Amino acid sequence: MAKILYIEDISDNATLARKVLTARGHEFLWAETAESGLEMALAEHPDLILLDLGLPDVDGQTLSVWLRSEPELEHVPLVALTAWPEEVARKMVEAYNLDGYIGKPFNMHHLLKLISDLLAR
Amino acid sequence: MDIELIPAIKFTIDELTDLYNQTRVDYLVPMPMSANILGEYVHDFDVDLDHSYVARAAEDGQVLGLGMLGLRKGRSWVTRLGVLPSIRRGGTGGAIMDAMLGDSDRMGLPLSILEVIKNNTPAHTLFRKCGFVETGEYLVLRRAPRPLKETPPGEANWLDSTGALVLMDSYPEHLTWINEPASMYNATSLQGLTISLPSGGYGWMVYRYHKFRLSHFVLHTQRGDPHEVGRALLAHLHFKFPRQDAYAENVPEHDPHCPAFADLGYFEVFRRVEMIRKRPDPRS
Repeated sequence: MAKILYIEDISDNATLARKVLTARGHEFLWAETAESGLEMALAEHPDLILLDLGLPDVDGQTLSVWLRSEPELEHVPLVALTAWPEEVARKMVEAYNLDGYIGKPFNMHHLLKLISDLLAR
Repeated sequence: MDIELIPAIKFTIDELTDLYNQTRVDYLVPMPMSANILGEYVHDFDVDLDHSYVARAAEDGQVLGLGMLGLRKGRSWVTRLGVLPSIRRGGTGGAIMDAMLGDSDRMGLPLSILEVIKNNTPAHTLFRKCGFVETGEYLVLRRAPRPLKETPPGEANWLDSTGALVLMDSYPEHLTWINEPASMYNATSLQGLTISLPSGGYGWMVYRYHKFRLSHFVLHTQRGDPHEVGRALLAHLHFKFPRQDAYAENVPEHDPHCPAFADLGYFEVFRRVEMIRKRPDPRS
């Protein structure tokens, strides 16, 4: 089972993800802002990071740049969770070298499948 | 529902931030703010909290929505308008708009300006009802950091904020509120560069620098082909700052530098429509 960090400012989304991911045996970490998310990622070395693109202090795209610039996080899979339209979300994933995205409101089945695929890589 | 409109100055920045984020939770373009960022926004864009409003339910005091009004010589700027999703289409947004535009008119400001996200039909419709008309369409572009392989052409001269502001003052075209000289004067971390090309082309750009991001771009070609000059400006910028994310807001859709943005790997995220409203004639 994996250690998963979710960086998300909306607590209802985090609560839902916590419930589903801990039920599958994953360790769940939550940070509400980009800055605290970066700190937590550096301290906890998660196996995978779920990243809301609409964060209040720094947006998720810029945060992905922060995360990728840290050598110890360079290869940690990053998954965007976003309400952007599909076409824009796809461009973001490609441009920011993310490992995938899930549209909001997110479908838990799709999220779990993507997490499982990425962790198996 | 009866609502009362309270000047935003009566609320703390934390309270306004919390309310603003609640109004945007399902928004077309997700863009929540922290209190620090909203505070900077108020400062940089001359938002006047005495003439910005929070709508509250008269019955139980629940906050329902807010709108902010920026004030500059001869103009006001409507921004951050939002209403809680559960009570939309009940007249709250219109009431906030009426309060802000009423203040703008009473101060004798001949012009009110705003930008609405393209395809945000409810907001667009409301603004038309308030007397606003479309004046232009603008692109919001992003570029993820990636190193450039080739040394850019021409000779670049890098400028600090003082030099950048001198350039801003000479800019000959219309700029939207967030990129115009008054906003740049208020901003921190302003920088600029000029470029001279072997072809004779010459131009400059101004931008805001943050540790991980470059933003608020203004490009101007003084001589030569804007595509060539713009490409050289952006190439020098990204050659110097290979690790910075880039966010170019409110680039006019027909700006001759648009092809240069595309060449450097920028992509369109969304569009804004600028709208203006002239103050109604008080005699009519």
